[in-house]
Amino acid sequence: MRSPQDASVNLHALEPEDFLEEVHSFEHWFESVSGYLVGLDHGHRRDVSEPSIVGAERQRLIATLCSYAVAETAALEASSGLIAIAPNRASKIFLSTQTADEGRHVEVVLNRLRELGVADPDAEVERRAGRSIRNFRERLLELVAAHEWDSAIFAQNVALETMEYTVFRAHARVADPVTRDMLERILRDERRHIGFGENELGRRIAQDPRRRAWLSTVKSELDRLVLSTFDEALEELRVPRGDRPQLGRDYLQAVARLGLD
Amino acid sequence: MAELLDPAAEVPRRRFELDDRGFDEVPRKYRRFYRRWEGPDDSLAPNEAICPVCKIVIRSPRELRVGDRLYCMACMTRVVIVRGEGGRLEAQTVY
Repeated sequence: MRSPQDASVNLHALEPEDFLEEVHSFEHWFESVSGYLVGLDHGHRRDVSEPSIVGAERQRLIATLCSYAVAETAALEASSGLIAIAPNRASKIFLSTQTADEGRHVEVVLNRLRELGVADPDAEVERRAGRSIRNFRERLLELVAAHEWDSAIFAQNVALETMEYTVFRAHARVADPVTRDMLERILRDERRHIGFGENELGRRIAQDPRRRAWLSTVKSELDRLVLSTFDEALEELRVPRGDRPQLGRDYLQAVARLGLD
Repeated sequence: MAELLDPAAEVPRRRFELDDRGFDEVPRKYRRFYRRWEGPDDSLAPNEAICPVCKIVIRSPRELRVGDRLYCMACMTRVVIVRGEGGRLEAQTVY
């Protein structure tokens, strides 16, 4: 086993089990997020100027953020629920850090709604969030409640997180400076979440290849929900239909790497 | 085995001094091992590969060869360097 001092000389010389131990630790998470979350004001930099967003543009942004709030709440509820059924300590600790990330995301999205003049963000989310993401949340929580570890990790850390990763990146490119800064900091967290899901499932499929067939069934069932949720989010962002297949590429590549049909 | 068959393996590897390129998503002591992809005008150095999962650029202190192992700390992925279609070196996930 190499010590962390060796790792700082050449990180890539670490043994795989030492690398996994390091990146799943709470200390690693804390040092990582400290790099981009310290000194913010409700999830975005204080020195980013707030533009005037009015009329239909403001309404569209509010509707979009309402759907994001449901997606982040789904991930908060699911990642905290998954801790109890995680098969090992490293996954439990990682999920505790993901739970903290998701709690932060819910909070900063609701605060962005307040900054846009929404008096009661929770009521606004209830009223305006998209139908597809609500359905996805319901299905995800069913899988968690049924203690379906593989299925729930696929639904949350591969499907939902990849959708968020893709949609937030697309949104950040065209967003106002405050929303962009908030989204770019959420995206830094999402990289860990998608990586955890894919690697966890990849290792479990390698241990027992029969899991691949089961996860392919879960994927087929979720595909309709994933597509409609993607479509709904990209419609709100006014992404041209012709550009959408390109944006779905990350999800398709992830399931292909896992060998899922 | 693949490395033994690679003609490039006969040539001594170049070493690279890694500098901090502002990648703030990992603990400070590991930042120099990563950087963000800067878009269409960017290109990979001989010691760099793109993480197939999160698309961050992974950097090694030595020139990459087929069979090398790298870690993407941003998304916790282990990759191995393979020769892809067209002969370019690229990173492939190892679970």
